[in-house]
Amino acid sequence: MFAFHTACMNFRQFLPLLAFAVLPPAMAQPAPEPATTSQAIDVGSGAWDGVVNIDVSVLFPDYREPWNAGQPSGGSGTGFLIGKNRFLTNAHVVSNATRILIRTSNDPEPHPAKIVHIAHDCDLALIEAEDAKHFEKLTPLDFGGIPQLNTEVIAIGYPIGGDRISVTRGVVSRIDFRPYSHTGVDSHLAIQVDAAINPGNSGGPVMQGGKVVGVAFQGFSGRVAQNVGYMIPVPVIKRFLKDVEDGRYDHYVDLAASDFPIENPAQAKALGTNGDGVGVMVADVEPAGSVGGILKVGDVILGIDDNPVLNNGLVRFEGELMDMNEIVERKFAGDTIKLAFQRDGKKQEATVKLTRFDPYVRLGATYNQRPRYIVHAGLVFQPMDRNLMDANQIRDATVSYVFDNFLTDKLYVERPEPVVLTSVLPDEVNTWLAPYAQSIVDEINGVKIKSLRDVQAALAEKDGKFIEIRLLEKNRPLVLKRELAEAAHARIMRTYNIPADSYMGDE
Amino acid sequence: MKLLLPLFLLFTICVVPLLAQTPGAASPKKKRPVPAADSVPVTLPAAQNNSLVKVNATSQSYNLHLPWQKESPTGRRGLGVVLAGGRVLVTAQMVADATYIELELPESGQKVPAKVVAVDYEANLALLETPPSDKQKTFFAGLKPMGLDSTARIKDDVEVLQTGRVGELIKSPLTINKVLTRRYIVEGSNFLVYEAAGIVRSEANSFTLPVVKGGKLVGLLLSYDSKNQVTTILPAPIIEHFLKDVADGSYEGFPGLGMEMQSTQDEQFREYLGLKPDAPGVLISSVVKGGSAEKVGMKKGDVLVSINGFTIDTRGDYKDPQYGPLSSSHLVRGRAYVSDKIEIKVLREGKEVTLSGQLSRRGPDAHLVLPYLFDKGPRYVLMGGMLFQELSRPYLGSFGEEQRGGAILRLARIASHPDKYEEAGRKKLVFLSMVLPTPSAQGYDKLGGQVINKVNGKAINSLDDLAEAFKNVKDSVHVIELDDFPHILYLDAFNAERDNMRLLNGAYRIGSLKRLE
Repeated sequence: MFAFHTACMNFRQFLPLLAFAVLPPAMAQPAPEPATTSQAIDVGSGAWDGVVNIDVSVLFPDYREPWNAGQPSGGSGTGFLIGKNRFLTNAHVVSNATRILIRTSNDPEPHPAKIVHIAHDCDLALIEAEDAKHFEKLTPLDFGGIPQLNTEVIAIGYPIGGDRISVTRGVVSRIDFRPYSHTGVDSHLAIQVDAAINPGNSGGPVMQGGKVVGVAFQGFSGRVAQNVGYMIPVPVIKRFLKDVEDGRYDHYVDLAASDFPIENPAQAKALGTNGDGVGVMVADVEPAGSVGGILKVGDVILGIDDNPVLNNGLVRFEGELMDMNEIVERKFAGDTIKLAFQRDGKKQEATVKLTRFDPYVRLGATYNQRPRYIVHAGLVFQPMDRNLMDANQIRDATVSYVFDNFLTDKLYVERPEPVVLTSVLPDEVNTWLAPYAQSIVDEINGVKIKSLRDVQAALAEKDGKFIEIRLLEKNRPLVLKRELAEAAHARIMRTYNIPADSYMGDE
Repeated sequence: MKLLLPLFLLFTICVVPLLAQTPGAASPKKKRPVPAADSVPVTLPAAQNNSLVKVNATSQSYNLHLPWQKESPTGRRGLGVVLAGGRVLVTAQMVADATYIELELPESGQKVPAKVVAVDYEANLALLETPPSDKQKTFFAGLKPMGLDSTARIKDDVEVLQTGRVGELIKSPLTINKVLTRRYIVEGSNFLVYEAAGIVRSEANSFTLPVVKGGKLVGLLLSYDSKNQVTTILPAPIIEHFLKDVADGSYEGFPGLGMEMQSTQDEQFREYLGLKPDAPGVLISSVVKGGSAEKVGMKKGDVLVSINGFTIDTRGDYKDPQYGPLSSSHLVRGRAYVSDKIEIKVLREGKEVTLSGQLSRRGPDAHLVLPYLFDKGPRYVLMGGMLFQELSRPYLGSFGEEQRGGAILRLARIASHPDKYEEAGRKKLVFLSMVLPTPSAQGYDKLGGQVINKVNGKAINSLDDLAEAFKNVKDSVHVIELDDFPHILYLDAFNAERDNMRLLNGAYRIGSLKRLE
């Protein structure tokens, strides 16, 4: 029954997120070669043996009882051979995996596999079979480019509805910058197709003219939209493969600034753009991001790597109108970008070194990580992130505010890793503190808490008769008498069956 | 007539207590099984009560999102209590946002229009009056004022009065089993409440219902939870306080201390605070700027030990001679008046300090975010389609739980932690609530919820500041600085004026570009 669990996750419905998302003008181009002939596929020929079924056993971490192992479950998706013992699939297919098995369409034998590289921000992963021999004779699939609108594609994989390989057919409907639902916070180029993409297709190739033009990865639930499936296009795949060439994945880089279209005539006049439709206003800048200290609110971005930026933040890139961030997207950590902008009517240029913007990551779902925590005298401390917020369904106004406005109000500057007192395991020593669960820890014994490590350090200090915990926007400190707390600690650990009083991560 | 009101929402705390209203004439009534003898709502068709009049009120609130227009009118019906001088007492809720109020004799159906002469939305009480005329004289000729009884206590039996279709009196007996403090209909202040058990029969006119004992008024029904058969009653001592305040000609309202306290029952916390094991008192965890507590010199970190000679225990209660343990807030709000002397004892750094001074009330306008808004429209300024408002609790409350992300969450947080903004000199929090599509506001129509910091260089501490600032434009472009994304907006002054003229009596039926009264 749980065979489609992965599928349920990846096909999470998502609705347009940004109020200011600007649709590019319709890209009406006639398809040059309307591929009208379809060719029968002989599954027995072995030509499609490179497209494999990936059977995954997963363990969902338990962010409520972080000391527990979590919930075992399972799922199934698709992957395909792209090189010597290298299979490409979606990150969400193999996330939180405890066991991965590969099967080809003509051979029922399961082959254990492991993750080589995984990139959650673009939902891609590379896996390899533990014993490469079996796959030596298979032919890897080749990559094509960005297919044109209204050209035919086929999606191959192991979706819901049967056990054997499946093929569906459709056309390219749209090429756009879209949210990737795996983390819930990342957006990249994505290609919409009307070929049926169903749970289980995830990680499978979408092909045109015998070449891979994308990896099927997400869609809408049938209640929201019909025949809308998305694939990860080749530029995103190639970027991932290039990033991992050095043996590790460095994540996407980000300008970490927000733009606001210049549509208003008074705004255009005040900002000094000359009405040629070039230039978008800088509306917010993350001080800790790539352009922190370089751009400021009210600047007008005119060009990015010599591509003129239009008044709605789009650039013409590779023949298409795309979000200007697409140019940043193709770069790697440490690369530079050339920005042309205007400040107070004066044109300026800057070369910006691109970095990853870490505070962003906290807002997205994370995988393959054991939840970190500290338990002390029954008080459970955990770092605030999306997984924690989702698992605990926190309703406290302050915690919701801090999470929701972590970036918008630049709260990460003062508190890079807010720590939440998530629960109080009842015992005589803490019986009066239960109402204060689900609060953000501000200070412990006078030490400002900026990360879970600060909690550990503050609790390790044994000075003073009391442990004094100040919570953000709660009007009284929580006070534990040190000797009572120490005495109760072991008892509480035993009673609530907690094997270790902290997990601080494996770094 | 609709009997379920929007106000009803403000009223729910946890249990969703139903207002004492009935399911109205339209909804089918269930046949009642014959009840057990001692809990029967006794109906005495013959009896009349010549101190009760039916009150029919039509109310119409302003639209909080389109503040130039009003919502559709709704009706409320209740029973008013006739007091001396031809005045009629009802709950404030009954006449909130009223456009037309009339009194009706239960038996004959004779009607006269009435006006509100005094209202206190915090204490949820209102006094009605009918202008003198022959009709008024005839109307009141057969009516007798009802006296007040402030002596009710726990275990007392009382009756809820209702009238039937032809004016017959219907009595539902209740027993008071708890006395506590709780907010009535608006946030921010707790008042004395009787809680009583028993079945209240459903009748058509029941928005305000009198509760009597031996023919005297002991309170007005606040809510009835039909599932648990629990009734809350706005008690006579609060009514008495209200009437006394009204009688002296100028209405001051109920005083408050303006502080937050924390119980000191936790032994480890007591030791940390340096309190002796059996010592009374609660920790003062915050003191509101401009409140009575601040004026008499109370400080955050003090331990409050007594108010006016009453010892405050570790829960923050005092021992009331009439009701037993009761929240200390009643010592100030219920038992004292504005300008009364108060004496407070606190422990400060281990030493007892006696503080004294005068009690005052912090009115709704003293708050950065207006706690409630009745009988008048929300203030606004409209400029080139951009609608600016002052943040209020009702505005925040109009958003559902699922709409509370982003901007609304930020605004709601400011409402709960206004200190930083008040210290910066803001009197009200001005924000851009929405943008109507106009040529001058092109590109801005998706905005909403941004706090305004400055306009044309002038700091905006109220809508009046904003209206002034728009008069001083440089280079014919208004510069609007926001606290949030996108931080800065420009608006062409000439085009905005032109759009203002088009908006006036245009498609949006805007009769005025601002409301600043």
